[in-house]
Amino acid sequence: MTDAVLSLRGVGKDYGKRTAVGTIDLEVRRGEIFGLLGPNGAGKTTTISIACGVIAPTRGTVEIGGIALATAPRQAKQKLGLVPQDLAIYEELSATQNLRYFGALYGLRGAVLAERIAWALGAVGLAERAAEPVKQYSGGMKRRCNLAAGLLHRPELVILDEPTVGVDPQSRNHIFDTIRALRRDHGMTVVYVSHYMEEVEALCDRVAIVDRGAIVALGTIEELVAAHAGKGFELELAGDAAAARAAATAHGAVSGDGAVLRLVPTGALAPAIAAIEATGARITSLTSRGTNLEAAFLALTGHALRDGGP
Amino acid sequence: MIVAAIRKDVWLLLRDRGALISLFALPIVFILAFGSMFKFGDGDHQPRVIPISYPAGSELGRKIQRAIDGTLGVAASYVPSDAEVRARVVSEAALAGIIVPADFDPAHGRRIELVLDLAGPIQIRGPLEGVLTGAVMRALAPVDLGALPAMVDVRSPPGLAQPLPEASGFQISVPGNAVLFGFFIALTTAMSFVGERRTGTWRRLLAAPVSRSAALLATLVPYYLVGLAQLGFLFGIGAGLFGMRVAGSLPALVVLSMCVSLCAVSLGLLFAAIATTEKQLGGVGSVMLLVMGLVGGCMFPRVAMPAFMKSIGLAVPHGWALDGYFDILVRQGTTIADVLPNIGALLAFAVGFLVIGLWRFRFDA
Repeated sequence: MTDAVLSLRGVGKDYGKRTAVGTIDLEVRRGEIFGLLGPNGAGKTTTISIACGVIAPTRGTVEIGGIALATAPRQAKQKLGLVPQDLAIYEELSATQNLRYFGALYGLRGAVLAERIAWALGAVGLAERAAEPVKQYSGGMKRRCNLAAGLLHRPELVILDEPTVGVDPQSRNHIFDTIRALRRDHGMTVVYVSHYMEEVEALCDRVAIVDRGAIVALGTIEELVAAHAGKGFELELAGDAAAARAAATAHGAVSGDGAVLRLVPTGALAPAIAAIEATGARITSLTSRGTNLEAAFLALTGHALRDGGP
Repeated sequence: MIVAAIRKDVWLLLRDRGALISLFALPIVFILAFGSMFKFGDGDHQPRVIPISYPAGSELGRKIQRAIDGTLGVAASYVPSDAEVRARVVSEAALAGIIVPADFDPAHGRRIELVLDLAGPIQIRGPLEGVLTGAVMRALAPVDLGALPAMVDVRSPPGLAQPLPEASGFQISVPGNAVLFGFFIALTTAMSFVGERRTGTWRRLLAAPVSRSAALLATLVPYYLVGLAQLGFLFGIGAGLFGMRVAGSLPALVVLSMCVSLCAVSLGLLFAAIATTEKQLGGVGSVMLLVMGLVGGCMFPRVAMPAFMKSIGLAVPHGWALDGYFDILVRQGTTIADVLPNIGALLAFAVGFLVIGLWRFRFDA
C-alpha cells in the first residue's frame, strides 16, 4: 500500500494542437513538503489545476488520498486545500466573512466553522484584523488571508501556488512558518509551487523540476544537486563577453550577466575554455560552482530559472 | 452552500454602491420622469386645456366651447384674443387652440381656425385634430346631436378585460422601468461570473467539493433572488409613492415577476459565457440591454409603435413581460391564466438563454 497523498499517473493536457503538459507521473508522500519548481509558463499551474480538479486532463488519472478524482470528485476534493496564485478572496468583505463562505463550501457550519475560522486566522496571524475589509490589508496580509481560506477544513493535502508573490519579507517568513507548522502540528502534506529557487530550497523535502510541460528531474534537493549540479563554473571575462558567451553556448548551458558567465558544460571544461579564448576574450577568474539547486536546474534545463525558458 | 453563496452575494451587493444605485435608485428616477411624461393632462386624470377665442357674445363660440367641454380628455378655456390662442400654442402652453372669427362664413373662406403645430408628431397631432374638428362639427350641426339616441358604443373586444378607470401614467412607467432595469440583473450576474474568474475565486470554488451545477447555481440563485427583490421593491414604490394600482390578480404579478427574473439571470449566464472581461460586459452588454428595452417598449409604449416595430418587440423577452404587466396592472380581473402566453414566452426565452449559455460556458477559462 502506497503512502502517497497525491498521485498523478500519465497526466497531460492539450489545448487543441498545443500541449501544455506532456505526460506527468508524480507521487507526493504523506507528511512531506513537496516543491514544484519551474519558470513561468513551464506548466506548473496547469499541472496543479488538473490535480485539484479545476481542469480536466486530456489523459491520465489523479488520486487524492487514494481516492480517484475522476470517479469520486467530491470525496477527493474534501481532502484537498488549494491556495491559488491569485488573491482568490473577496476584498470588499472581511476575512471572517470570506472564511465563512469558503468554509461553507466544505460543509463547515455553526460552531465548527467558527472554531475553524478562529484557528485559521490565528495560524496566519490575522486574528486581530479579522473584522476589517480585506481591501484594507497590506499585500502580505492579503496573501495570508488567501492561505487561511485554503486551510479551514484542515485538508490532508494543501497545494500552494506561488503563495509569496508580491509579499514583504516579514509576511514571507510568516507564510513559511505557517507551512512548517501545518506539517508539524497537523500532519498536513504540502505541495509548494514556485519559481523562486531559494524558497524551494528552504522549505521542501523533495522537488520536481518542471520545464516545458514535463518533469525533468525529481528527488531531494541533495539528490538533485549531487546528480546534476556538480560541473558548474563561474567565469569572469575581460574583452568581448558577448562573443565569449556565444562561443560557450556550443559547449553547455550558459547564464549570467555582463562579464560574469556561468557555465554548466556538457562535457569536459577544456574545449569550452578554448572556444572562449578563441574569440579574443580573456578569462580573469574561474570558480567551481555547482553546489546548489540553481546549478542543477541550469544543467537540467539549459537555462536559468529567471529566464523563464529558452 | 447555496445559502452561504446568497449571504456572500448580499454582503457584496450591499458594499457595491454603483450596483445598488443602478438596480434600485436609478429606476425610480426613470419611473418618475416617464410617469410624468405619459400623463394625459396637466395633472392626474385632468383634461388637456384648449384655449378658445371668439367675439364677445358669439353664440357659435359658446356652442363650440360647450362641445369641447363635452369631449373626453379635453376642456375649453376662453381667452380674450386670437393672438393669445396662437401665443399659447407657440409657447407650448397648449397643444392646440380654436379661433372663431367674427365673420364666420365657410362658403367664402372665412373658417374656424384650429391652431396646431403641424410639425408635431402625428401620434399627437392626429387624435387632437380629429377630436377638436369633431367638436366643432357637432356645434355647427343643424340639429342637437346630443338629443339624438346614442349611435356608437365604445367597448373593449371580447378577451380584453375592462381597464381601470382613469389609469395614471405610472401604470405604464412603473412596469416599463421595472422590466428595463430588472433585466440589468443579467449584467450584474455576468459581471459576477467574470469577476470571480478574474480574481480566482471561481478557481477556488471549482477546487472545492462542489459539483459544477452547484457552482453555477451558487451565482445564479443569489442574483435571481436579488432580481425578485428589485422587482418587488420597484412595484412596491410604484404602488406606495406613485399610486400604481394592480387591476388584475396579485399572484399573476408575482408569477410573472418570477419569470422575468429567471429570464434575466439566464441571459446573464449567456453574457458570461460570451464575454471574457468586465469591460466588454459594461460596453456591449449595457447597449444590448438598452436596445432590447427600447424595442420591447420599456421606454416608449409598443402600442404607439408602427406595426413592424410592434412585431419586433415580441422578439425580445421585454415585450412579452411588458404586455403581461400591462394586462395585470391595467385590465381588471386579469388572472394567471390570462398571462399564460407571456409566462410561457418568458420561460422559453429563459430556457433558450440557459441552453446556449451552458453550451458556451467555459468552466476552466
